[in-house]
Amino acid sequence: MIESIALILASTMRLATPLAFAAAGEYIAERAGMINISIEAMMLGGAFSAVWGATLTGSPVLGLVFGMLAGLLIGFIHANFSHRLTVNTYVVGLTLNLLVLGLTSFLLDVMDLSQAQVSKFAIPILSDLPLVGDALFNQRWPAYLLWILIPGIWYAMYRTRWGLNMRAIGENPSAVDATGIDVLKRQRFALLIVGVLSGLGGAYLSVGEVGLFNQNMTAARGYVVIAAVIFGGWSLKGTMIGCLVFGAADAMRLALPALGVTLNAQLLIASPYILAILAMVLFAKSNRAPGSYGRPFVRGVV
Amino acid sequence: MQTQHAEAPSGRTAPAVELRGLTKRYGSIVACDDVHLTVPQGEIHGLLGQNGAGKSTLVKMLLGLVSRDAGQILLGGRSVEIPDPLAAAELGIGMVHQHFSLVNELTVWENVTLGEPGRPDPARTKALVRSIGERYGLTVDPDVRVEELSTGERQRVEIIKCLRRDPNLLILDEPTSVLTLAESRELFSVLRRVVQDEGRTVILISHKLDEILDATDHVTIMRSGRVVAQRATCDTDERELAREMVGRELSKWVAASALGDLDRLVDPSHSTDAAMLDRTESIDEDRFPVRLRITDAYLSEEGRPQLQGLSLELRAGEITGLAGIEGNGQRALGDVLSSLIPLDSGTVEVDGVALPTGRPGVMHRAGIGVIPEDRHQSGCVLDMSVAENLVMSTVNSVATRGMVSRSRIRANAERLIEQFEISTPSPDTPMRQLSGGNQQKVVLARELSLDPKILVAAYPTRGLDVGAIEYMTQQLHAAANRGIAVLLISTELEEILTLSHHIAVIHRGAIVGRMRRVDVDAERLGMMMGGQAA
Repeated sequence: MIESIALILASTMRLATPLAFAAAGEYIAERAGMINISIEAMMLGGAFSAVWGATLTGSPVLGLVFGMLAGLLIGFIHANFSHRLTVNTYVVGLTLNLLVLGLTSFLLDVMDLSQAQVSKFAIPILSDLPLVGDALFNQRWPAYLLWILIPGIWYAMYRTRWGLNMRAIGENPSAVDATGIDVLKRQRFALLIVGVLSGLGGAYLSVGEVGLFNQNMTAARGYVVIAAVIFGGWSLKGTMIGCLVFGAADAMRLALPALGVTLNAQLLIASPYILAILAMVLFAKSNRAPGSYGRPFVRGVV
Repeated sequence: MQTQHAEAPSGRTAPAVELRGLTKRYGSIVACDDVHLTVPQGEIHGLLGQNGAGKSTLVKMLLGLVSRDAGQILLGGRSVEIPDPLAAAELGIGMVHQHFSLVNELTVWENVTLGEPGRPDPARTKALVRSIGERYGLTVDPDVRVEELSTGERQRVEIIKCLRRDPNLLILDEPTSVLTLAESRELFSVLRRVVQDEGRTVILISHKLDEILDATDHVTIMRSGRVVAQRATCDTDERELAREMVGRELSKWVAASALGDLDRLVDPSHSTDAAMLDRTESIDEDRFPVRLRITDAYLSEEGRPQLQGLSLELRAGEITGLAGIEGNGQRALGDVLSSLIPLDSGTVEVDGVALPTGRPGVMHRAGIGVIPEDRHQSGCVLDMSVAENLVMSTVNSVATRGMVSRSRIRANAERLIEQFEISTPSPDTPMRQLSGGNQQKVVLARELSLDPKILVAAYPTRGLDVGAIEYMTQQLHAAANRGIAVLLISTELEEILTLSHHIAVIHRGAIVGRMRRVDVDAERLGMMMGGQAA
């Protein structure tokens, strides 16, 4: 019994890690008032580019860098289309999602991609702890970056002027504009951060956990990340808990049949997404969203 | 212009602000016309005027939000250029905004430090908030989120935000419009301290006579973009202020009447229309039955009271003008009569039948036609054709079993275009391509084609030229003559005086006075609109 629980926990952590990288970025964007739906494209593009980069250079670590750059590029395209060309941000996001899905599927067919995977690193002693040791302290090494990244983002959002401005922009961009801060520039910057972190999340999925790239590998995990931020009530802690919950749902999908529990297979596969939809329906209204959530900012007199 | 009272301090030092011949035009409209204004150092200077008198434009030029067309700004005797708000702040001009520019989710200290350079320093900012609070009696907890504060406390935060930059000149734009009486008194005692103890200068923009009289040292009155009077507050009284603020000019209306036969409307004493004289002088209960009756209407939006016990009757065949300063509940009343929002309490009756409020289409079906405040936003669909816009609220009349008939839409449009003299290339022309006057004619035609019992016209001539104004005026009169009860909502007194048989004054969401057109005297009306019992 203990063994199966440890197994499910380890599986949860593995599946939650890519979500957590992307969600850390999405959290910043949502606090700055944006719902960045092109996050799916960023993750998928990151996953593909990581394997492609690893094939080119022979190094899975450089693959991760490729993944982050791919996410950055998608963020840059999104920011410029929605701000400079003033195309509706959701139209841009949906278009990018479809474009990247098609492009990666096509490139997967015509390119010869090799397998590549970053190494595991077990922290001595701690990884031998019962129950949680394997889950927390025996992971692919990039997963440990989260231990620095998440406190770092919290500090940036709550202790620096940059974070204060970001939070204020999400609440009342006109007031921030009136104090002489360039709102759109900061929102574009937030999109670049989501790009890098979601690219890293996607890359972790491919060259981290799986070691290769499949067609539509992220399978709507980008939307699950958006659900995690909503589930978490737009707090960083809640967002991470959301990632764990969705990771756990994914882990159960894999673990339950192995444990001999028989459930409708389709239902099992759908369960994380059903949970995500439930979370959005239940929490989107009851939690307090940023004041200017999802509304494009247009300059004007207050 | 200045009295000895003002010369005493200005003899020592140059005036804090001196404006010379400031002019600002928006297209053909002159918002500020050769404004000369001198505010000595260390006094509270009132700027009084109705909506659109040019007060806000004047202040925007001082803050660098609007560039001037002509004239000079002198601060402390030096001529200055103010290209943007940042430059204004550096010159020591601080503004407390009418609509709060605070971020609700953030704490007080975070709001105070927002927009400053460098790393935020919570301890220092909190200490600053406390020390400013103690100095001026503006106590507020720096750790509380702004959304948890009352409107009075929010205003304190706004003032702290402004004072912490140590401005020499403080500008307050309608600061008491959201405050209770006690909160207003507190605000004025703070301003008094700022002026007396520290020699700063305050410009207080207001249209409330009592607070101008209570709080200021001097007052400048503006009307139609011009300075019409300057007084030492101690030498004037509310009657004089009211008279100067409202004035007697019927500029635009006189211009409109030059095109046609509006003279008799502008001045009913010259009227040869016996029926109209009759109507303005007596209420004949039988001939003019009550069509619409609103009783004790209360409504708040987002915690702010909009209507507070408003009661109003409209009689068939009469135009009732709703006079008042903008933001006293006119918009809420219009929205209720368009079925857009429900009342918190109170009733709306049409011909004695009570109607449920806030249910889509109910008011409309009961026979209330509305010409909305903003014709682009809620009056018409700009990208649809004239013909489609004309059937928008009567679409059932041109449809059979859910299918609309294009030929009937077209026939209806051709009939209305001819009847209402709408100038359009064709019924299929998009609304966007019509002039403002013709767009308004489309809205009017659509509402009148329903044969309403009651017509609510909110700012029906806003932004129109004189020809279109005359047309609208005649149409509203014709509607009243056909027995429709007309409610005219406007902040332009000239418009109301020109059109109405009766005038009701709205203030803070309630009707504070009624009078017949023939009994109107500008002084009394101005006082009621300014919230003075009269």
